[in-house]
Amino acid sequence: MHLSPVDYLIIALYFVFVLGIGYLIKRRVRTSTDFLISDRAVPLWITSLAFIAANLGAQEVIGMAASGAKYGIMTSHFYWIGAIPAMVFLGVFMMPFYYGSRARSVPEYLALRFDEKTRGFNAVTFAFMTIFSSGISLYALAMLLQVILGWDFNLSILLAAGIVMGYTLLGGLTSAVYNEVLQFFLIVLGIAPVVFIGLHEVGGWEGVVKNVPPVMTHSWQHMDNAADNPMGVNIWSMAMGLGFVLSFGYWCTDFLVVQRAMIARSMSAAQRTPLIAAFPKMLMPFIVILPGILIIALQNIGAGVELPIKADGTTDFNMALPTLIGHYYPTGLLGVGITALLASFMSGMAGNVTAFNTVFTFDIYQAYFNKKGSDTHYLTVGKLATVFGIVASIATAYLASTFNNIMDMLQLVFGFVNAPLFATFFLGMFWKRTTGHAAFWGLVAGTVGAALCHGLTGAEDKGAWIANLYEFQSTMAQSFMIAIVSWTSCFVTTIVISFFTAPKPETELHGLVYSLTPRPVETEKHWYKRPIPLAILILALVILLNFIFR
Amino acid sequence: MERISDLRFLIGSFFTILGIILIVVAFTVVTSTAFGKELNLYSGAAMLAFGLLMLLLSTRK
Repeated sequence: MHLSPVDYLIIALYFVFVLGIGYLIKRRVRTSTDFLISDRAVPLWITSLAFIAANLGAQEVIGMAASGAKYGIMTSHFYWIGAIPAMVFLGVFMMPFYYGSRARSVPEYLALRFDEKTRGFNAVTFAFMTIFSSGISLYALAMLLQVILGWDFNLSILLAAGIVMGYTLLGGLTSAVYNEVLQFFLIVLGIAPVVFIGLHEVGGWEGVVKNVPPVMTHSWQHMDNAADNPMGVNIWSMAMGLGFVLSFGYWCTDFLVVQRAMIARSMSAAQRTPLIAAFPKMLMPFIVILPGILIIALQNIGAGVELPIKADGTTDFNMALPTLIGHYYPTGLLGVGITALLASFMSGMAGNVTAFNTVFTFDIYQAYFNKKGSDTHYLTVGKLATVFGIVASIATAYLASTFNNIMDMLQLVFGFVNAPLFATFFLGMFWKRTTGHAAFWGLVAGTVGAALCHGLTGAEDKGAWIANLYEFQSTMAQSFMIAIVSWTSCFVTTIVISFFTAPKPETELHGLVYSLTPRPVETEKHWYKRPIPLAILILALVILLNFIFR
Repeated sequence: MERISDLRFLIGSFFTILGIILIVVAFTVVTSTAFGKELNLYSGAAMLAFGLLMLLLSTRK
């Protein structure tokens, strides 16, 4: 793939704008609250788009197109089952606790609801996970630029990390969130043409159906048995592992996304942030998954576009989207397409780094090392944490090379960290008897359960580092089971220990537990500004999408 | 200064410039890919329209 001066001009224009946004936001950043949590003053449309854009990193744009080429429309389960219901649950049920408690982060909510050790456990594991995710984004970006443009691997890492560091240091979370919205539009408008031209070439959706195996155009019909579909998962595993544990674990408890709703201007806006975000989110499969299916159809009709083969002889699915862009995009639009890919990596990285610096500053440094520092001091710590987060991401980027599929690796990490967390939050928010000791040991049990499950089962030559008691059809099926085991371990352990330990007095739980918190009073007249009608509409639409592509 | 740091203005400016670049490229650069001119032209027009819409919205409070 060869870039012309016009393409480089477009990439440079993008860099100027993202750094310019940081520069313009800089004058608004005076306190640690401005830098780390945007002083809770961001408009609803921005928090909503940032909510999904923070998740629109490498694993989504490159990984989902790869999964589309590998698994077909079944990949949409990551959206229609694995995201939308959890986003609705977050908006309707959980945001009142996060926002109403005035916690600055998810770990801080755990400190208010349970105790410091539970907060510390979550803060440290979350910090590791954000660095890990950020490193994956960076690694994938550098690999992509090396493979398709011939850019130097190390230079690509330093350039991307340097620009993210630049605008994040200048404008803090607000700058990252503003850039996420710009990146969202760039990704959608930059990738949409490849979908249109691909559909045009192959003869529309009917052409896709004719030219790919039937299993790639149905999301539910081949799921009775794990062996019948390329994902290697059955309905139970999909519904429980992805649809319940991983989905709710990520969308309802991961501070990276929840943070975007927590910076909204009001409780109503915070509740509606994930709900408004659900509308574009449910359409994202047509932007990020469809290109992967299209490349298979285009290969089969001999359109002259082929997925590359790796050195080990296997197909390089991660190149699905870049291959289409390189094949169809002319000078000019090619620059936009490459910039869209750059934007996705930088968006994912900045999202992780801004979540990391907040958790590090408030939940690790302030909680355990210096409780009485001045605001200027915490602002400095927040900025230093940003630099550290990016440097650590660069170091972590090299670890990513040991896994073939980015999504599989992330599923594994979420299984270890997020899956038990949702059990803790669920019990903590809806059962006032849950105790701090129980929450902490529940999280430990969940993580140990996940590690044991990974060590005792295998799939595609991964896992089974203790013994191979069971072989899964795929690493994805193994990841789902790890998540289920992890969640169950945490849930059962937390309940059992709660019965043997003393709960907090009810007076300390107001605003933190469902039964002890007054329901938010609905003052909005218009139905589309109220969470419940919005939630019903979203669920109806997502059921319709599942039905259409069943 | 307030309007310049309005996100709608920033996004609008970016996509307006991007749209203009793609439309100019569509008429001035000969591309080797199939539908190259059309892709640049239609994508550029879409980005220009979106950019102008965002600029218009940025004039509202």
